[in-house]
Amino acid sequence: MAQSANAANPATEFAFSRTFDASREDVWNAFTQPEHLKHWWGPPGSRIEIVHHELKPGGLFHYLMKFPDGRAMWARFVFREIAAPERLVWLNGFSDEHGGLTRNPWIPNASYPLETLNTLTLAEQEGKTMLTITAVPFHASDEEAFVFAGGINGMKAGFGASFQVLADYLAQRRRP
Amino acid sequence: MQDQLSSTFAALADPTRRAILARLALGETSVTELAKPFEMSMPAVSKHLKVLERAGLIARAREAQWRPCRLEAGPLEEAASWIEEYRRFWEQSLDRLDAYLRQMKAARTKSKTRDSGKKRSNTKSKE
Repeated sequence: MAQSANAANPATEFAFSRTFDASREDVWNAFTQPEHLKHWWGPPGSRIEIVHHELKPGGLFHYLMKFPDGRAMWARFVFREIAAPERLVWLNGFSDEHGGLTRNPWIPNASYPLETLNTLTLAEQEGKTMLTITAVPFHASDEEAFVFAGGINGMKAGFGASFQVLADYLAQRRRP
Repeated sequence: MQDQLSSTFAALADPTRRAILARLALGETSVTELAKPFEMSMPAVSKHLKVLERAGLIARAREAQWRPCRLEAGPLEEAASWIEEYRRFWEQSLDRLDAYLRQMKAARTKSKTRDSGKKRSNTKSKE
């Protein structure tokens, strides 16, 4: 089990893990079933309204996030690989009400990726479940997934010594 | 056209290019100096530099004849801040998931206790 988690977490990917005091089945269901998703998915304080959820390769999960201040925004998953209860791969992005891909309507930063390719891996460990998420920016015009080493935190774990130098350099620049 | 972040990550995907950037983080230097630690031909190193330059991660001085390379921190900082944001997004989401899984478990334990309570009272009533 630990091995499969490692396989999903090569040294050059942005990844992080968390262990839940729950069975793998429960975590898988919470991630993949609308009746569970509606209870927890979305930013803190928001509630989601699920308009479409089709768990199959190419299938769409389309939902509206509603915030306490009355604002709302659409978002979507497009599923790519489904291997219950172990591995889920999907593209994560914002959308319009018809499910069409859009930029984050609140932060329309053109340098941010439109979609992110996420891989969820679940490994059972003595009744607990270790969840690992890896994420890469995804650009639809070139269908390859970018393997990259991740940010300041990810650098420590993944990029190794050469990247640590970069991390330090960036940290230095941030200091006033 | 690729967005900046995708170009940044694509450029970072290669270990030689990461090593070049790490060297440049120490200060600007010439292509010859940069090539030294690698068992690589100059054209091969130049190719990597071109990728980095196109991605905006390095700049090469025009004035000096030896055209020193230097690191451009902007895109790297942007990449780092995107990752920070994405990490925060996932941390918050998983906090909610954790709370929800606990709820699920508690509800199940409760209904189990209730069931076994019922059984016990059933046995009692039989007695």
